[in-house]
Amino acid sequence: MKKALKIAVYSGDIPSTTFIERLINGLSNEVCEIYLFGFRKRKVSYNKNVSVFAYRNTRIRKAIFLLKYSFLLFFFKSKEKQKLDLILKKQSKNLLLDKVKSYPVLWHKPDVFHLQWAKGLADWVWVKEFDIKLILSLRGAHINYSPIADTALAAMYRENFPKVNAFHAVSKAIGLEAEKYGAAKEKIQVVYSGLPEVTVAIKNKKPNAVFQIISVGRAHWKKGYTYALDACKILKDNNVKFHYTIIGGAKDVEYAYQLHDLDLLDVVTLLDNVTYPKVQSLMQDSDLLLLPSVEEGIANVVLEAMQHKTLVLTTNCGGMDEVIVDGVNGFIVPIRDSEAIAKKIQEIQTIDEAEREAICNKALAHLEEKHQEQKMVSSMLALYQRIQNNEA
Amino acid sequence: MKHKTESLTIGIVLSTVPKYSETFFRNKIKGLQDRGFRVILFVDYVHVDDADFSCKVVTGNNFNGSIFKTVWYSILALITAFCMHPKRSFTLYALNKKDGMSLKKNIRSVILNQFLLKEQIDWLHFGFGMLAVTRENVAAAMRAKMAVSFRGYDLYLSPLKHPGCYDVLFTKEVQYHVLSQEMKQALESLKIPSNKIQVITPAIDTQFFKSNSQIQKQDCIQFATVARLHWKKGLEYTLEALALLKKEGLNFHYTIIGAGSEKERLVFAAHQLGILETLSFTGKMPQTEVKKQLEKASIYIQYSIQEGFCNAVLEAQALGLLCVVSNAEGLAENVLDGTTGWVVPKRKPELLASKLKSVIKLDDIEKTTIKENAIARVNKEFGLKKQQEEFVAFYTSN
Repeated sequence: MKKALKIAVYSGDIPSTTFIERLINGLSNEVCEIYLFGFRKRKVSYNKNVSVFAYRNTRIRKAIFLLKYSFLLFFFKSKEKQKLDLILKKQSKNLLLDKVKSYPVLWHKPDVFHLQWAKGLADWVWVKEFDIKLILSLRGAHINYSPIADTALAAMYRENFPKVNAFHAVSKAIGLEAEKYGAAKEKIQVVYSGLPEVTVAIKNKKPNAVFQIISVGRAHWKKGYTYALDACKILKDNNVKFHYTIIGGAKDVEYAYQLHDLDLLDVVTLLDNVTYPKVQSLMQDSDLLLLPSVEEGIANVVLEAMQHKTLVLTTNCGGMDEVIVDGVNGFIVPIRDSEAIAKKIQEIQTIDEAEREAICNKALAHLEEKHQEQKMVSSMLALYQRIQNNEA
Repeated sequence: MKHKTESLTIGIVLSTVPKYSETFFRNKIKGLQDRGFRVILFVDYVHVDDADFSCKVVTGNNFNGSIFKTVWYSILALITAFCMHPKRSFTLYALNKKDGMSLKKNIRSVILNQFLLKEQIDWLHFGFGMLAVTRENVAAAMRAKMAVSFRGYDLYLSPLKHPGCYDVLFTKEVQYHVLSQEMKQALESLKIPSNKIQVITPAIDTQFFKSNSQIQKQDCIQFATVARLHWKKGLEYTLEALALLKKEGLNFHYTIIGAGSEKERLVFAAHQLGILETLSFTGKMPQTEVKKQLEKASIYIQYSIQEGFCNAVLEAQALGLLCVVSNAEGLAENVLDGTTGWVVPKRKPELLASKLKSVIKLDDIEKTTIKENAIARVNKEFGLKKQQEEFVAFYTSN
């Protein structure tokens, strides 16, 4: 019988972000073994083919964890341990912590090591010395802007990207961006993120009396909320009736000051983070999901809004134009353009119910075609298998 | 109130000892000492190189260390409170209680403020508004007058981050120092009586920042800004304006002097706007280097979103740069629109771009007139000596 593929999905944290956890859970329903390494933030339960080799973030727990794996490697894989120690000694800035992270990987030796965040690449290139295949996900800021501002990071990418066996790109756009740092085109495979299938039928929505616009995401400059708020000022000055809510925007002084500065307190609400079901419910009740970002891979929140049959207005940042076609399944404006956002919102307000329904249905059809969770999992598994069989 | 010492003793509360580049506090302290005032500086932390600071520096214990140290310092502070100055400690406790402070916070306040209570002073002056929060009764407990300086950030932004943070402070007998008339109006709108607020603008060393250049014809226009890389400095809007100029074919270079956490944001903005190649980030620089950098430029831009007053704009004017600024709070008092520079409404990059174009197009006579007006006004209104006199008056006439 063929041995099940051993795949390490490494983000450093356990549990990881929603979309990485979705990948782990999806893979765990397939014929493969999943290894999770890193720092355990809290206890999580997975299917039984998911093995967690994690440490708690206290000195004593890390010491015990390191002792255990040092002992195992010393007695049973002594030569490999020596080889890894030499590599780590050469490159490490914090040797003890790097051993805590690396020893369990060497001991359990997965077939494929799938690194989620590119900034950590230099710490994991060593796995290739031990016949472990290295796959790197190309996600958001790590590729799109950090190496532009940080020339040392860009140099690290140029040095190490050629050593990676394969790249998983969350969009075509980010794949192209990675090519600038030496990622070979033929090694890049685009696998779009997928949403779980919705089992409950989505009701046809009635527009709200006051046009409700919503954005969801942490308070970070890349989300472009300052442009959205400048657009709100234009809308207010044009006597447009609307209300804009940013979930995750509370506690941020920049946005709070902008509301105060532009006299938007009556038309904009900044909410703190709310639970996932509450976000979904607020999104479902809104007339428009606005993504004013200046940088994204493909924003999951847009996919979720499409699933709720909420209209989407996004900037053309990152891979967003691979999801939204302007006027067909949503709306799209250039990045960093408040005027364009305001103008487009006014246009969207005028569309009739039949047109809105048609756009939402096309959005749903697009999701079904490109963003199914099962499709994402099977594509990733196929990528792992190809790499393992040296076909990539 | 009777003076406790022959000359007035001013206690100034800051987080740290002002660094060499923080000319505002250094100059203020020097000016007061020159006029015979005794100055005590109360800070949370000191560095080794603060040892030779020109006045007495009193430091509180570090309560953010290990639990053992925190408990030990707390016990010591309570012993000091009971044995060394029980009356002041009790008064502080009683006044805090009257303000509705919880028992836990009140005991904490008595412990944390022991290092202040032990000194004999006439004035307790908090260098920033936020430093007075939860310490509103310390001056009264010390039988000293209380003063609070507001900068831009702590007047306009801190209350958004900590709603209601000045509610207790504004009920107290306090003399306020602000940097601009705009800030004075903001305080008045919060029901602070006008006679309790004094505007003392920042000042610069006009001998050091002395213009020695003529208007030069430059093929490549040199723009400059001195600013922390922080959203409130409006640098993203500035970059958008410059991108518009680039689209129109203007040949320019823009130098941003300063460091900060938002470099990535700005570099990425410049990259997306297609002007990264025309931009230099010098990082933080000593004053002499800042001066050299500014001397290479012809137009200074300070398109801030929020600004108390801005020393850097004064320095640029003194050096003879043509200054284009936003109308954020005190900036419109710093630069007089059309007389000593130009003031553009904030958050409007297209207006900034258009103003920059019109300034570039001015003839030499017009440029020289503005430049000379700016230099004359800065020398007359914003010199160190004038500021020192105003601070002396602040303490002696109130």
